Parts: sequence; structure tokens; C-alpha cells
Amino acid sequence: MNSETSPPSIMIDLIKVSKVYPPDVQAISDISLTVAQGEIVFLTGMSGAGKTTLLRLISRMERPTKGMVDVAGIDVIKLSPRNIHLLRRKVGMAYQDFKLLPERTVADNIAIAMEVVYRPRSFIERRTRELLEQLDLTRKYHTRAGELSRGEQQRVAIARAVANSPEIILADEPTGNLDAETTGRVMALFERLNRKGATLLIATHDRSLFQDTAHRVIELRFGRIRSPQPEVPEDNGEPAEEMAASFQETEQ
Amino acid sequence: MRFWTVVLRHACRNMLLTWKSQCMTLFTVSLSVLIFSFFYLIYANALHIGAELDDDLRLVVYLDEDPSPPLQEEYRHKILKFDQVDHIEFISRELAYKRFEQQLGDNTDVLTGVPTDFLPASIEVYPVRTLDSLSRIKRFSDYLQTLPGVLKVQYGKEWIERFYAFIQLMRVIILLSGSLLIMTTTFMVAHTIRLTLFARQHELELLRLVGATNHYIRMPFLLEGALQGGIGASCGMGALLVLYNWITLQFAGPATITLFPFAFFQWTEVLAIIAIATLLCVVGSFSAIRRFLHL
Repeated sequence: MNSETSPPSIMIDLIKVSKVYPPDVQAISDISLTVAQGEIVFLTGMSGAGKTTLLRLISRMERPTKGMVDVAGIDVIKLSPRNIHLLRRKVGMAYQDFKLLPERTVADNIAIAMEVVYRPRSFIERRTRELLEQLDLTRKYHTRAGELSRGEQQRVAIARAVANSPEIILADEPTGNLDAETTGRVMALFERLNRKGATLLIATHDRSLFQDTAHRVIELRFGRIRSPQPEVPEDNGEPAEEMAASFQETEQ
Repeated sequence: MRFWTVVLRHACRNMLLTWKSQCMTLFTVSLSVLIFSFFYLIYANALHIGAELDDDLRLVVYLDEDPSPPLQEEYRHKILKFDQVDHIEFISRELAYKRFEQQLGDNTDVLTGVPTDFLPASIEVYPVRTLDSLSRIKRFSDYLQTLPGVLKVQYGKEWIERFYAFIQLMRVIILLSGSLLIMTTTFMVAHTIRLTLFARQHELELLRLVGATNHYIRMPFLLEGALQGGIGASCGMGALLVLYNWITLQFAGPATITLFPFAFFQWTEVLAIIAIATLLCVVGSFSAIRRFLHL
């Protein structure tokens, strides 16, 4: 099931991961990436570079064709479908296509993530209102998701992703439909969650998000990592390259 | 507790989402239960009547003369070797005359001048009191006819045959209505659950993505099947009770109902029928989940 294959300080560990979609579309090739706990990593690159695929592999929406994926101490590849909820409860994901239920209210859409972990009604309501306030959607509590603008839908998707305060937050183009002010609100929310210990992986091609950032920025191009990523400090565990090398040896 | 609250809420939401199909399913389940339990009620009462009539059931084997003790022993041996026979009694010509005299009561004077041995000796054969014995009585009677010294074998041939034919017919009807019950409950429920699954497809995918367990996703559908079965069967049994009261009111008085007791099911039987219908609906729901819900 979930095997403790990496030190707890490493939240996301990808080693020589490739994904080929049928018939032979190479989405990502030999990607090795290590994200430490509490880190914010921006994943950038052109459309089709493999950002979304990478996030889908981490959240186990896809299985890699090759390589190893370890998330929050869970070996994602070995994880059986029956136990997939163990991973999904640790990872909150804001999808590029939002994945909202258009007939249900904004509150219902956010609550769904908390209901599956049996949060009490009072907690769900309080948390939902709190998130809507932070994302400037207070008045939309009872509005049906299908009646919202794309920017509003995007914020609801983000609220749902972070509702359970997951250990890892994956955001796929979280500000693609937002104006500068709302983008600021979303990023402030992410920063707050990060300060509380959440690890964030944000896929975006909005340069303004990471232009002056101190956080790590990884560029993907044609399914490969372009910019070199700094190693995780030695005391936090084995560096990614070393792990990749050892994995390669094991494979051979 | 929290789990069941959530599951119940989801099940109710499912039912509201496809309320038209739900109504159709409830109606079909109710009707199937009503048809099945109606015939079963008649059958159960017929069995009761049969058991009561059985009390008077006997075969009378008339003999050409009073059997000697060795011959009595031989008859006893040949008749009692059948499992269906409870006991036998030898009636001598003299005893037959005495019984007849008793039956005549104050009119015994009609027997004046009649010899006391004018009635034939006989053997009264009392079969075991089960309905199956009724079906075998004709064959048994044919066998008794072949015994030496037997003049005639008599029993309530006509009513037994008709009653047995009726019981057989009821068994066939119960079998058919039982099959109808099984088919409607499982297929209709499976069909409705399938519609709900399609209607909630996006939501189910989303539930999976936000960390719902398989149990969390499946259980509302099983509960939905159980609710359909429980509510449908309760409605069916309620309708049967109304029908029963109407029948007893209509036939109250000097008619058949007073001659033959016509009782409603015991509460345990009512609960058993509802439980079986509920279980069948859960099975229907389970089969739909297995086929159409891919997690």
C-alpha cells in the first residue's frame, strides 16, 4: 500500500518519469524532480510542455509509463485503486478545467471535499465562508456554480482544493482567468497555506507570478526539464540526481 | 454515525434526482409484492383449510367378510408398510351395525328385522395429515383395491382431487408471481440505479478526485436499493392488508369466509416478505454498481 520510501521532508519525488499517451505521444520524458516539504515550486512552460501531465501523475490521475513517483511517503505507482483516497486526501488539486458541479451551489462545490472526510456540518460551513471571504466570493455562497464567470469558477475550484488544508496543493493554471487584484488574493491565500506548512506546485505560464519570486521555478519544454533545479539540502535526504542514478541502476 | 448521515443524504439526493424512475420502481415493486403476497396468502389459508379437512380424511376398505386374526395381521402389515399411513382400524360387521344404529339415534326402529350382519366388515385407513398425502391417496386407494377380499375402497374422492388441483394451481401461481417479484425488484432497481449513476457521473468522478473511499461512493446506491425495496414492499403489504379487509367485509356473514377461516399473515411473515423484497432490491442495486460504476 503506502510505503515509506522517502524521508518525510521530501513531499514529492519523481525519478526518471516518462509518460506516453497512446498511440505514441510523448508527454514527458525522464523527468526527475524533488520537492521538499513547505516548498513552493512554479512549473512553467509553453502549452503542451507537460505541466498538466506532471500534476496528473502526482495526483495519480495518470500512471507513468516509466519511472517512480512518490508523494507524501506514498508510492503512487504501487497504490491500489482501493487505497487511492489515501493519496487524494493529502493532495488538493485545482484543475485547469475546474471540475465543478454546475447544478450545485458554490458552497456545495466546496463542501464536497470536506464531506468525504466526514467533517462536521458546522466546520464545513465555517470553512466555506472563510475561504469565500478570502477569495472575494462571499456573496456567491448560494449561487449555482454554472452561473458564475470563469474567473469566479476558478476561485471556487481553488477554494475546494485547499478546503481540507492538504499537505500538498497542486494548482493547474490557477490564475489563468483572473485579473491582477484577484490573482493577488489567490497568491496571498497560497502563501498563507504555505506558511502553515503546505507544499505547493503551481503550473502556470503567467510570468508575473514568479518574476520576482524567491521560490524555485522549473521550466518544462517538450516534456523535459529545461532549467536546472537546485538540489534539496543533504540533511533533508538524498539529492534527486543521486536517487535518479540509483533508480536507473536498479532498473538496469 | 456521521458516515450514515452522509450516505443517507446522498441516497435521498439520488432519489430526488431521478424521482420519476424512482416512482415507477416503487410502484412496480409494490405491485409485485402485492401480487405475490396475495396468492401466497390464499395458498397459506388453503393449506390451513386442507389441514382441517384432513382431520376427517380416511379411506374405508370394505371387505367381503370379517377377517380372521391372521388375515387382520396380514392386512395390517401390507397397509402399514406405507409411510403415509398413520394408523388403521378394523371394523367388524357387528361394530358397523352398532355405529349405524348410533347414527340413526331415535330412528333405530327402521332397523327392526334387519340382520345385525347386513353391513360389510371394513378397514378404516387414516393417512398421515400432510397435503402430500392427498396427492397419493388415489394411488394408495388403487393399491388397497388389489388386496385379497377387498370389495370396494371409498374416500372423499372428488373434493380431494379438486382441492389438490387447486393447491397445485396455487403453487404454480406463487412460483410465477415469485419469479415476477424477483425479476421486477432486481431488474427495475438495477435500471433505476443505472440511471442515477449516469445522472451523477461527473459528481462520482469528482468524489473520487477529492478523496472519497469506494465505500463512500457505493453505499448510497446500495441504500437507495434498500429504500426502494423497503418502501415498495411496505406499500405492497399495506395494499394487501386493505384488500384483505375489503374481502373479509364483503364476504362477512354466512358465506365461505365464515365456513373456512381466512386469516392475514402473522407480523413475522409480513416482516419476512418486506425483508426479502428489500434484499432482492439491494442485490439489484449491487449488480448495477458492479456493472456500471467503475472506480
